[in-house]
Amino acid sequence: MQSDTVVKKDLNKDIKKNINLASKRERMKNYVYALVFLAPFMVLYLWFWVYPIVQGFISSFYTGSYGVEQTFAGFENYIYMAQDSKFWVSFGNTLYFVLISTPTIVVLGLLMALFVNMKLKGTTILRSIYFMPYMLSISVMGSIWVFILQSRTGLLSETLKMVGITTEIQWFGSWEMGWLSILIATLWWTAGFNMILFLAGLQEIPDDLYEAADIDGASSWKKFWYITLPSLKGVTAMVILLQTIASFKLFGQTFLITNGGPGISTTPLVHYVYQIAFRQWEMGYASAVSFVLFIAVLLISLIQYKVTKTKK
Amino acid sequence: MNSKRKLTGKFWVYFFAYFLAIIMFIPLLWMIISSFKLPGSTVTVIGELLSPPYTLESFKEVLKPDGTAMMWRWTFNSVVVGVIQTVITVFVSSWAAFAVSRLDFKGKRLIFVLILAGLMVPMESIVVPLFNMMVSLNWVNTFHALIWPGMMLPLAFLILKQFIDQLPTELLEAAKIDGAGPFITWLKIILPLSKSSMAAVSIFVFIQSWNNLLWPLLVAQETSMMTLPVGIPTFQSNFATDLAVPMASNVIASVPALIVFLIFQKHIIKGISMTGIK
Repeated sequence: MQSDTVVKKDLNKDIKKNINLASKRERMKNYVYALVFLAPFMVLYLWFWVYPIVQGFISSFYTGSYGVEQTFAGFENYIYMAQDSKFWVSFGNTLYFVLISTPTIVVLGLLMALFVNMKLKGTTILRSIYFMPYMLSISVMGSIWVFILQSRTGLLSETLKMVGITTEIQWFGSWEMGWLSILIATLWWTAGFNMILFLAGLQEIPDDLYEAADIDGASSWKKFWYITLPSLKGVTAMVILLQTIASFKLFGQTFLITNGGPGISTTPLVHYVYQIAFRQWEMGYASAVSFVLFIAVLLISLIQYKVTKTKK
Repeated sequence: MNSKRKLTGKFWVYFFAYFLAIIMFIPLLWMIISSFKLPGSTVTVIGELLSPPYTLESFKEVLKPDGTAMMWRWTFNSVVVGVIQTVITVFVSSWAAFAVSRLDFKGKRLIFVLILAGLMVPMESIVVPLFNMMVSLNWVNTFHALIWPGMMLPLAFLILKQFIDQLPTELLEAAKIDGAGPFITWLKIILPLSKSSMAAVSIFVFIQSWNNLLWPLLVAQETSMMTLPVGIPTFQSNFATDLAVPMASNVIASVPALIVFLIFQKHIIKGISMTGIK
């Protein structure tokens, strides 16, 4: 009897072994397949994203330029950054742009989405016109706004003169006006993109909510306030975070329209990195400032990730 | 009375919707009209703008082969970089998404998190080490430098993975029973089914590439290697008061994008809402 169970056990073991062997082979095969499918992606990803991140972090502790021997400097770059007023100005500029661009882009994008969603006559035309500027190359967009806003010969200034207003507005002449110009150009260029996001959000609202409200005799204003707006919370949070990230990555507009000036009054963080890295060729310090940018965007993205998670 | 109020409400909606559209369209319209004026004109005065002569001289000036503008070359560069980046990104991401979504292997979770983390890294924060890499690879002023860095891999991966996740398991089981290996499964099932997601991702990647200014500004220093976003401001910096010629170059740079937009409008809009609603 005892020996019987032993035989049984042995048999079981044998079968198990065989199954294990088969599954092992299966697993090996899966590994190979996964490797083949993942390899091209991972090579590109590790080479052009992961490696530069690590490399950038390391060089933020060194001083030196491109192709020159680099010397270890410890936290020197970071200490310098803490005392660098230009860094703080550009950081403040970035935050200022977040502050002015986010609410305006939310309002304008939402307004456009509402107009397009109302099934007015010519909806397709409206949607196309609202969105079209986003299809322009950033340089075309920049050039158009420079020619519109530049003093004396700009389109706006000439048109105002025609109406009898001859006061010269220096659109690029000061901190406030410079940022206002960049804001206007950015709104014109990207509001359509945000409109699409809001539009997708609007179309997800179930119709029966509105039908129920109709039965209750709710006014359109009430429907907007109690149904539409609350349903768009998730999309609005996303637009806000996307715009915040976009502000931290702001470069093209300031580079093309104001060139960061006057002085550095319209220089945001990325533009400042550009100046230190490619005008003054201080790679180590530029890496340190880049790292701050990296951390800032990482934090905002994590918040965004949390927000979209809780939405679901 | 109620219906009257509704009617005036509707009037104001129409009024504001079209008012906004007109305001937004004026810069575009102005760009187009002024590009048809004679080279050298400073046409910001509206009366002057709306009266003839209209000519193609400014376009000729921009496109003339011995001029400072290399519009053909820059458009070509932009298109080549955009198309290659898009094709590589979409296919490579689709393979990776398929592996992570449907294949069983150890370390899957780790790879997924590693890629997801990349979503949070802006290219702007790594241009310095990337440029350094280009210098040591001797890639400055080559297509390699314009194409390889900065592809939107994590985003494309995530969107395609979400789509593949949604596909019914039975479909893939059936393929397995029929004896199809992963390669056939990808080619015969995943690829045809995810066509529209891949199209959406393509459009997104292409627009990003088309509009990238910072990176090509750094690595395309020779005029012949520039892309449109870098070339246009370089060319226009030669014109201080002349409006017609810069505007003609703007029009030439915009026409392909606007045509693409008008043809693929639906797909573009779908693509953006897909990438947005993560």
